[in-house]
Amino acid sequence: MIDLNDGNMHYAFYSGCCFQGADARFFEILGDVFDKVDVKLHIIAEAVCCGAGVIEERSELTSLSINARNMAAAEKMGLPFYTPCSTCFNVISNVQKRLREDTQLFDQVNEILAVDNIEYKGECKITHTLWMLAQDVGLQKLAERVTHPLNGLRVASYYGCHTRNPSDIQNYESSDNPTSLEDILKVLGVDIVDYDTRDECCGYHLTWPNNELSMKMTGSVLQGAQKQDVDLMVTSCPLCFKNLDGVQPKALAATGQDFRLPVLFLPELVGLACGMSPKEMKLDWHTVPVQVRL
Amino acid sequence: MSEKIIPTREKILANIRIQRFTPDKDRTPYFDNFKVEVETGMTVLEALRLIKNQQDSSLTFRAFCRSAICGSCTVRVNADPVLACSTQLLPIIKDFGKASVTITPMSNLPILRDLVVDIDPVIEKLAKMHPYLMKNKERIPKTLEQESLMSQKELTQFGQLTDCILCGACFSTCSAVKVDKTYAGPLSFAKAYRFSIDPRDSFRGMRIQASMDQGLWSCVQCRKCIKVCPKDIRPADSIRDMRRIAIDDGIHDTPGSRRAKAYTDDVEKFGQVNKPMLPVIVNGTKGWAAIEAAEVGLKKHGLEVTRQVCKLPGQSGSAKVYSKIREIEKKGK
Repeated sequence: MIDLNDGNMHYAFYSGCCFQGADARFFEILGDVFDKVDVKLHIIAEAVCCGAGVIEERSELTSLSINARNMAAAEKMGLPFYTPCSTCFNVISNVQKRLREDTQLFDQVNEILAVDNIEYKGECKITHTLWMLAQDVGLQKLAERVTHPLNGLRVASYYGCHTRNPSDIQNYESSDNPTSLEDILKVLGVDIVDYDTRDECCGYHLTWPNNELSMKMTGSVLQGAQKQDVDLMVTSCPLCFKNLDGVQPKALAATGQDFRLPVLFLPELVGLACGMSPKEMKLDWHTVPVQVRL
Repeated sequence: MSEKIIPTREKILANIRIQRFTPDKDRTPYFDNFKVEVETGMTVLEALRLIKNQQDSSLTFRAFCRSAICGSCTVRVNADPVLACSTQLLPIIKDFGKASVTITPMSNLPILRDLVVDIDPVIEKLAKMHPYLMKNKERIPKTLEQESLMSQKELTQFGQLTDCILCGACFSTCSAVKVDKTYAGPLSFAKAYRFSIDPRDSFRGMRIQASMDQGLWSCVQCRKCIKVCPKDIRPADSIRDMRRIAIDDGIHDTPGSRRAKAYTDDVEKFGQVNKPMLPVIVNGTKGWAAIEAAEVGLKKHGLEVTRQVCKLPGQSGSAKVYSKIREIEKKGK
């Protein structure tokens, strides 16, 4: 049993399937980072992959049903649904919206879920790192937990697409002019630097169907940030991270550029500012070496 | 008794920053600033007309119906494409928290002058999609006296899509168009899909081919087109739908179709995608190089190398859901 009154905030944790292979370390560090701000994650054991919207290219009903089942599993735990992955957030929030709007579809999906003895009620609150930190934990508490402010660090903030588009995918903040990421970063002490390509897509979801275009998109985003002479980029999306850091050398070669720009996944920077060491964050796993003066 | 509602009228003196450019005269685009008293309800188009009438008659923009139906007045306000005639300025000023907005022409298209772009590239791509009905003889009656009836259910499949006014907002914001000038752009796929599933039509195969020729699997699903569409037609969803009918009609041998099949089947089998093997599943034997490179990286960090993902605990329940859906979809066919 989860003791909800232990002074911590509890979330049903949907990890998504982006934490495979070398990215498994994110799965490990997330819990440690969120410990610092009194957040406890409880894995949704019954969950399966959201299908990243790709399953909809075969069967929309399948995508709707398995994701309603994912949410139903969180509802059973009585906890808000948290995912660190922007694409999971997008796909699952979209399913919730579709089912809330269409009662016939809602009933059909629940008839399907009955084979697994589970019911989707449509009540579950879905959130992402951005709003969990900026709104649930709150900037004030986050500020109290920052022991190693990253003053003077010039940072390009990057949301990626799937927590922003379309506008009705979330109602936590404006999607044309979101500020949650910058709000969090300011609390960590860094200087936010404006750059041209902040709203561009990183191209991750073209990795398999059209790698050439994917690399051009990644290269373009990085170039915009590099032009402003930033120390590093920080993204709130683990899939954007895979492209911006993981295949950065390839993306830059494909776009005729020759530089290296360190990229961090938002929870990593939060961890560092809250006193965790680069070693604990496993920063040496990055493709592009990260050196942060603490 | 209901209370009388008195609308609040606000006024803000705002700076309207507009991109100017006359090819052959200006070397690069530049910005002009105009001070405008923005009132509650004032649209972007009204502000542009006010500036043209009172401050600079050379300001050039395109507009016609003022009713969000002709699709000619698309411009970008603070980088987001909008219909100038149906977008109010004050909410944008409030959203961005400063009394200044920047108006630029649509991107991804050549500028003719100031805010006017050449939309011919959009129309040329659309024309290749056969955006019209090709008679389905089994469905359309032989004589003109008989009507070609359609059920409500058939109509709902594509009804919303017929609202597209070709304003080009989706084309302007499209991530794929930005890096691939041969890519058709969202609205062309939405139109192609709209006609392909119309029961009165017989040209679906040709449109699937035309879609593949113009980059059906190059859409990155950034979902920006859904956000900016003033008619809420959800082009990115149409692209997914177009991919689905392409696969249904036998297009299995593209990286995109293989990915769709892999994701769908893997989630049933394992509860997650078999990412370690995805390069080979999608790209055939040339994918081995990517797998080997990834494995070198894993070994470097002392991680176990695996070529098969494990079954997640949720897999068995989800597999039941899969088989139920298969039953339903079989019945539907």
